[in-house]
Amino acid sequence: MILLKYGHRLVAEPIKLHRLKFTAIIGLALLTGQVDGQEMDHSAHAMEMGDSLAWTMPPHPMWMDPAMMAPFMGIVPNVSPFLPGPDLDIGVLPMARTPKVKHLADGDTLRLEAAILHGMIGSRMVKVYGFNGQFPGPSLRVPQGATIVVEFTNNIDFSTTLRWHGVRVENSYDGVPGLTQNPVRVGDTYTAHVYFPDAGVFWYHPHQRAHIAQDLGMYGSIIVDSPNPDYYGPANSEESLIIDDALMTDTNWTPFGLEAPTNALMGRFGNVHLVNGKPGFRKTVNKGDVLRLFLIDASNTRNYNLRIEGGVPMKLVAGDLSRFEREEMTPTVIIAPGQRYVVDAKFDEAGEYALTNRITAVDHWMGEYFYQVDTLGIFVVSDQNTSQDYSVEFETLRSNEEVVSEFNAVRAEASRQVDEELVLSLNIGELPIPVIMMMEMDTLFYPPVEFNDAMPMMNWLSTGMDVTWLMHEPDPGASPRDLGPAYGWRFKEGDIVKIRIYNTHESWHPMSHPLHLHGQRFAVIEQDGVETENLVWRDTILIPVGSTIDLMVEMSNPGTWMFNCQIPEHMGSGMSMNFTVDPVP
Amino acid sequence: MNLFITFVLTALNPIGSGTTDMCLVADADSPVFYQVELITTKRVAGSGMATGVGEVTFTPSPFGVNLTENGDYLRHIAISVDGLKGPVRGNYVAWVTTPSLAQTTRLGVLGADRKISGNVGYNKFLLVISLEDDDGSSSERWKGPIVLRGMSRSGAMHTSAGHGPFVQENCTGYGFNG
Repeated sequence: MILLKYGHRLVAEPIKLHRLKFTAIIGLALLTGQVDGQEMDHSAHAMEMGDSLAWTMPPHPMWMDPAMMAPFMGIVPNVSPFLPGPDLDIGVLPMARTPKVKHLADGDTLRLEAAILHGMIGSRMVKVYGFNGQFPGPSLRVPQGATIVVEFTNNIDFSTTLRWHGVRVENSYDGVPGLTQNPVRVGDTYTAHVYFPDAGVFWYHPHQRAHIAQDLGMYGSIIVDSPNPDYYGPANSEESLIIDDALMTDTNWTPFGLEAPTNALMGRFGNVHLVNGKPGFRKTVNKGDVLRLFLIDASNTRNYNLRIEGGVPMKLVAGDLSRFEREEMTPTVIIAPGQRYVVDAKFDEAGEYALTNRITAVDHWMGEYFYQVDTLGIFVVSDQNTSQDYSVEFETLRSNEEVVSEFNAVRAEASRQVDEELVLSLNIGELPIPVIMMMEMDTLFYPPVEFNDAMPMMNWLSTGMDVTWLMHEPDPGASPRDLGPAYGWRFKEGDIVKIRIYNTHESWHPMSHPLHLHGQRFAVIEQDGVETENLVWRDTILIPVGSTIDLMVEMSNPGTWMFNCQIPEHMGSGMSMNFTVDPVP
Repeated sequence: MNLFITFVLTALNPIGSGTTDMCLVADADSPVFYQVELITTKRVAGSGMATGVGEVTFTPSPFGVNLTENGDYLRHIAISVDGLKGPVRGNYVAWVTTPSLAQTTRLGVLGADRKISGNVGYNKFLLVISLEDDDGSSSERWKGPIVLRGMSRSGAMHTSAGHGPFVQENCTGYGFNG
């Protein structure tokens, strides 16, 4: 029997040898009729959890030619497949409820129990992860300046941690296993004191095996309210939209990689769009209402170009950690994993308005871009007139002088020398030969940003065992293969540090990365030599292929922190580094 | 079609390929990978030694990346040309067009510094410098001879059929006729 698993896994070079061996192996296998997933030996990948779990191929997108799947038939990822609660009968699990808003005050205690729940995603009855019986977890609403006590109990399948994305918490509560705390074992409870210094929209999510736990729903939104009632303009109502996508068959999740993530090249794109844990989100407003949307991209890897159809105007108000210097109208919201935006939308006419994701996707089979429109939900505008008309306020684009003043100080230092430099690149170990061949073929062009999974099989077969994403310091004399992550960065509390990041196109299969900086805030002052006109404090920034981005980082929070790609499949394949901010006595 | 093939061949010899440019991290300029090399046609007197480049960046956006409502990339293209003499009569006009020539945007007349820039919302595009009797503002597309031309990096996208692991697939079955 010919096994197309380890025997054909070769290092990335030389290509000609790969092609020869691949042709020989496939040819022999075809002759013996054994290139068939049903006849594969899965013993090396079997679960030890009592489940008859096997790999299922990822769904085949409608646009994709079936011929694109053929070279990959019978090959499976070199990690074990995992699905939640393999030994549990879904019928005995509690039904997942929709997330509720949980208002908290300074000093309150929040008990969060992560557990396996019985969820419904479309018509699929599946096991999901949630908090306090809700999928996703409750939406937290806290006043700026509050500290809450979180008692987190872990009842999912494996050890995990919980972190507070974008919240400048005390270092010991940042939720990074092995760096700021030990993983919380199954059945254990961990207590964190979470301080919310900034107003805005944030979210909580796991940081261990995040490629599994986060995708299964272990996340929730956080809205931090400013004490200033005029912090944002007026709105008739507010809604948190936590956006995600799930990779599913007709009946269940497509299995996850247990020992390391699958989809290590491009991240795990989903085929089912979720808003607040459900496909088919609906929200009803009155005619003339201004609706404030708190947008969070909780997907593993999908970048969205969000639009409300029907010409509904949107006003961009705030980003990750602050308001923008100036409000501005925007036809779409481009949001990357981990990022957040606050957007006001005004609905002037009764009717139904779709929230869509409009992208130009790449069809690698035909070598073309094509338009793809997915509907994430519907806003229903009733015939009833708004109770309070905020037309004038909506049309007024405010300048936030407090924010402008903060950024004037940052801009004053922007022209100085770069303090630190990073290059984003990729190392390839052993990968299935068809994957290597496709990567070789793909070297002519890479889109600046990946908006769709253009090569699902190739992506699925790449795992964290074979792919290493790197954040390294530039070293023209070294091959990326010889470089490890940048280390030894040390700053003082109060420093404003200029960091230049280059996402090199010269590694095999470069892709855009949403980089997330823990514990601090930064401004993107320049991208590709072009100054940013309208600044906002951020903690997560999307860096396109080939782009160079200059950050001004305010080192305000002492401790040793992580800087990582927000795509869990990339982080789980090495794309992170640590840096230290020393306190000033 | 011949013109298109020429563009493809141009793209297959990209700027900056095969070099280790990690030191480029010190220069925060437009992405080298997406630069468009402009090649002279040698059809116009004074253009035989001409070279040029189109630098491609995103148009300013609060999101960093910029897209149209349909998801097309919104690009700022800055063209600069060297070694181009004249013209004795008329103007050198810069255009951006889709590969099928279905849509064309006039960027404008090259300045005395042989530079021009503008914004477009195309994913695959060709840059064309033509010699026009006038400034081209009344034309949907160039009328005069093409002086220089180049193709966006995305133009190098090609069918997978007949390549790599799909070498057995006949690309003519997918509408590609060589």
